[in-house]
Amino acid sequence: MESTEALIDCQSVWKVFGDRSDEAIRAIAERDLTKQDILRQYNCVVGVSNASLQVRRGEIFCIMGLSGSGKSTLIRLLNRLIEPSLGRIMVKGRDIAALDAAELRQMRARHIGMVFQSVALLPQRTVLENAAFGLEVQGVPRDQRNRAAEAALAKVGLSDWKARFPAELSGGMQQRVGLARALTSDPEIILMDEPFSALDPLIRRQLQDEFRQLTKDLGKSAVFITHDLDEAIRIGDRIAIMKDGIIIQTGTAEEIVVNPADQYVADFVAGISRLHLIRAHSVMQPLVRWQGVTDGLPRCSPDADIDALIGLITSSGSDAVAVEEGGRLLGIVTIRDLLLGVRGETEARAA
Amino acid sequence: MEELVSAFDAQVDNALFWLADHASFVFDFCRLVLEGLYAGVLGLLMLPPFYVIAALAGLLAWRVLGLVPGVVTAAALALCAAMMLWPETMSTLALVIAATVIALATGLPLGVLAGLLPRLEKLLTPALDLVQTLPPYIYLLPSIALLGYGPATALIATVIVAMPPAIRLTALGIRQTPREFIELGHATGVTPLQMFLKIRLPFAVPSIMAGVNQSLMMAFGMVVIAGIVGSGGLGETIYGAIRTLDIATSINASIAIVVLTMVLDRVTQAAARTK
Repeated sequence: MESTEALIDCQSVWKVFGDRSDEAIRAIAERDLTKQDILRQYNCVVGVSNASLQVRRGEIFCIMGLSGSGKSTLIRLLNRLIEPSLGRIMVKGRDIAALDAAELRQMRARHIGMVFQSVALLPQRTVLENAAFGLEVQGVPRDQRNRAAEAALAKVGLSDWKARFPAELSGGMQQRVGLARALTSDPEIILMDEPFSALDPLIRRQLQDEFRQLTKDLGKSAVFITHDLDEAIRIGDRIAIMKDGIIIQTGTAEEIVVNPADQYVADFVAGISRLHLIRAHSVMQPLVRWQGVTDGLPRCSPDADIDALIGLITSSGSDAVAVEEGGRLLGIVTIRDLLLGVRGETEARAA
Repeated sequence: MEELVSAFDAQVDNALFWLADHASFVFDFCRLVLEGLYAGVLGLLMLPPFYVIAALAGLLAWRVLGLVPGVVTAAALALCAAMMLWPETMSTLALVIAATVIALATGLPLGVLAGLLPRLEKLLTPALDLVQTLPPYIYLLPSIALLGYGPATALIATVIVAMPPAIRLTALGIRQTPREFIELGHATGVTPLQMFLKIRLPFAVPSIMAGVNQSLMMAFGMVVIAGIVGSGGLGETIYGAIRTLDIATSINASIAIVVLTMVLDRVTQAAARTK
């Protein structure tokens, strides 16, 4: 299902806020300027600085950063709630800066759903009417949009609550309605702006799992903003880490944990458990380095995580596991490799 | 300095006279429309006997407020009739209704525009401040010069006094839509009209209803003062009682005013809450 086609393609996007942002942009286009230079010389704040990212069809792309890192600005650039200062944003192959007002409305209404941290359910409307809001705006007849809204509410497990008002629901249920509202219009892309940040930890984990499952089942693509690395790892197929408006690193959770781009990322991932993140192919050593026989070793696939490898070793009594794919041996994971892996290191870096 | 002031006053007087002389057809037309509206409302209110109106008001109060307020409303209105003040009470009510309708018909759209256009609001605010700080009976003088003695003058002065709260509170309600809902609208792809009707307006309803209630109350206060210019109704009854030192009548009329005010205030407030 996952393909390499980029649904969203951000190319060197900047967002500069301030009265003299035009001058600042011109200066950025001409010469290399840092965020600090721009603040000092033009009194402008850089929200997003030279950001490039591609979101592929069927992918959940997480943008992780602390408050003030520009992640909320970046996600709003994707559906042009904020106009980019510089750079190009292609959504489904169309440059969204070139859309006129009506085309932009169409794009937002049909192709890009959005879920907010504040949920923003209209308090005067029932849960069903809220879920049907997107289709109502598009002029879909009442019974047709209500049917779609009921189906979306069923997907998030809220069928029994459709006649209630938002104030009668708990925070977690409200956010489910927010998700149902985004799903009702059946968009290819869902933008999630810190949707679970305000929820308590148990509900949050539950919603994270449900969200990932639902998105994959429906074949949607999502951009998910969060300040919580655990959440990004749990949900995201790929993660972009932002700091001061800059995307520092983009990659899978494993790539980021194994090869942090700088000290900032390294500090961030320091506390993350490697057990389910790091897989055999990252920690294995080439066959040539292995002196012993391979015949009696337990076998695993390159995607087996450390937790599984530990299980294999402890249950077999063997000192190593052979990694194989399609009957071909790829490498060997020794106990030493495993221990390094638990610390998030690999043989190459340890040496 | 004194000369300057008297010259200014003379200019104002002249302007007013000039208007009265040269634009009288405009004001005659205004007068016709205003008095027509007033007479129409009054005619409706006087059509059934008093107990029908009292019973209808009681029923309405019962629906929106409860059984006890309903009974009290009907009884209080019956009291007005018992004091032999029924026609005056109804003509005061007719004046209030006519003035409030005109004030809202102009004030609500103006308030919506002011809420959407900050520049217009900047322009309107000092004008509204002026209208609300001047003593209300000031408005009777130019109106009497242009429209003459009678209910039309009372109506115009009342409309001027009743309009500002409707404009202000409507603008406030339209302007204070929470930002996340504006963002929701944009992200959902609403048209500007949908943004207004489906997002801004629903959030503004409580504030707008408060404005309607305030306008009504302001209209009440002014209609009584307008008794001086021959508005008819309870205001004129009180004005007459003051001139002849008829304390009993003035107290009766005051009770009738209190009854009418309380009933209208409570019913509209409750109606605003249930909405």
